[in-house]
Amino acid sequence: MVAMRTVLARLIQLVLVLLAVTLVVFVLTQIAPGDAARLRLGPRASPEAVSELRHQLGLDRSLPHQYLDYVTRVLHGDFGTSIDGQSVSDIIGRRIGDTLWLLLGTLVLAVTTSLVLAWTAAWFRDRPVDHVIRLGVLLALFLPAFWVGFLLIRLVAIPTGWFPVADLGSSPAELLRSLVLPSVTGAIILTPVLVRSLRSSLIDVLDSEYIAVARSLGVGGPTLIVRHVLRNALGPVLTLLALNVGYLFFGVVILEATFNIAGLGSALVEASAKRDVYTVQGITLLFATGVVLANILGETAVSLLDPRTART
Amino acid sequence: MIDTPVIEDAAPSTTPSRRLRRRGDGKLAVGAVIVGLFVLAALFAPLITSGHPAEQDLLNRLAPPSRAHVLGTDQLGRDEWTRLVYAIRIDLRVAVLGSLIPAVLGSLIGIAAGLGSKWLDAAIMRTSDIVVSLPLFIFFIALVGLLGPGTGFLFLGPGELPLIIGFTVISWVVYARLLRSEVRRVRSMDYIRAARLGGLPRRRVIAWHIVPNAIGQSIVYFFVDVGLAVVAISTLSFLGVGIPVGTPEWGSMIQSGRGVIQTNWWLIAAPGAAIALIGMGLALIGDGLDDRIKS
Repeated sequence: MVAMRTVLARLIQLVLVLLAVTLVVFVLTQIAPGDAARLRLGPRASPEAVSELRHQLGLDRSLPHQYLDYVTRVLHGDFGTSIDGQSVSDIIGRRIGDTLWLLLGTLVLAVTTSLVLAWTAAWFRDRPVDHVIRLGVLLALFLPAFWVGFLLIRLVAIPTGWFPVADLGSSPAELLRSLVLPSVTGAIILTPVLVRSLRSSLIDVLDSEYIAVARSLGVGGPTLIVRHVLRNALGPVLTLLALNVGYLFFGVVILEATFNIAGLGSALVEASAKRDVYTVQGITLLFATGVVLANILGETAVSLLDPRTART
Repeated sequence: MIDTPVIEDAAPSTTPSRRLRRRGDGKLAVGAVIVGLFVLAALFAPLITSGHPAEQDLLNRLAPPSRAHVLGTDQLGRDEWTRLVYAIRIDLRVAVLGSLIPAVLGSLIGIAAGLGSKWLDAAIMRTSDIVVSLPLFIFFIALVGLLGPGTGFLFLGPGELPLIIGFTVISWVVYARLLRSEVRRVRSMDYIRAARLGGLPRRRVIAWHIVPNAIGQSIVYFFVDVGLAVVAISTLSFLGVGIPVGTPEWGSMIQSGRGVIQTNWWLIAAPGAAIALIGMGLALIGDGLDDRIKS
């Protein structure tokens, strides 16, 4: 029951936050310079044609009316058309696959690496290994991801020829191969953010009474780690990931720009450079929704895993 | 938790000679030397470089490193070393302002939340929750991409003001939360109560006793934040929404070097190494200070 109420409260919050996000996205594009109709038709179009298109796009209405129009259209799944006449939903549909693959690759690699590093640091707490991991992780925070990506391209991809340097492959084997370097780069972005907090939550678990009890009952080795420690550390991992989803999305934008991958991130960068308002609106809204959803999923999962947190 | 440092201090194993060299001094020294060298290079840029960063030598494009051009030249024949050094001025200026302004603003907001009424505290904390949960870097790309970098402001060049405003919106939250929890922790400690009971006016207790004790952690974070800002500035410039291409800025330099990565790899390697090095120097200062505060 408690979990149900949490989910319901979260859903209401989701709607409110999404409304706020559409408002932010709408305002963002309102303060962008230039007239959307004039931008589409070019400088040589007649004033009549421009005002005709303004009317079609609803740009001659009041701002609140335009905002309501915008929300209504979005609710119907209509994100408008891009500056070169494609439907923004089509652009998103075409590009979202690559972005999801990059997210998956980065997450798998970053979470595994973080768990191993955090685990080692927590186990050898305050000993040299721990100090080295903590300092290394702190310093890795300052490696510019795009630079690491270029170094990998220059030092690994070009000399060996094992990895493609642009686009994701289509067959499963090709796809996997083309995901390697971007995922490594993505893990370098995400891992330093995760390890610090993971280490301290693992230490909390290791210091807790039930681990002491389990140990005194003779549980040790892999059983202790998998059944008791890792299971209890799952909550913190999920919370941490949910908190960093916005940062992860920014990371994927960087990965797509570095490795020439035609996903949503590069679409966003290209569209904003072309002042393509509707495409920018659509993709920004999608990323923002992703962040909000991930936060809610994370919190719900944590409260399901640990009933104690559901009450607060 | 509060009294652990006292216990450590009183431990008899600490000999006088060890006390002189406190924990974190090594990191602090290495970090200070790295950052100091960057600052000196930025201040005395004309003395250690030859010519102007925008000076083109079209007959000498993409030259390999030589005695005349330590790091070679770029596609327009501009000296890479000169550009690398002048870039410190831009990157560090934007990073310091983009960390100092949110540090001051966020700290004031955090102190207000920690000492103010319940309602004020709740309002500030909920706002910071929302700010944290929004993909602000994505918004930044959308906004600056659509608006363009602008023409500069006072002594700031094109693209610098949007970055500083963006960093302020993004990182005030960290300082506000830090100061709020520190203020709350310090406020309930015995000597603050004693000061209040002893008749010191509220404002004086806040200014002279609570704030100085609470501010240590945010100074530590400030150094880390400047380093993170350098990485963010160069990343956003690389994506085309930071400092405009053509300006001597590390991220833009890497972007313009990507076409010749195969032959002139140093045009990419050098600016990236500069970003990582100054970031790590700042992080070492922060970490060293942190060790000092805790020991």
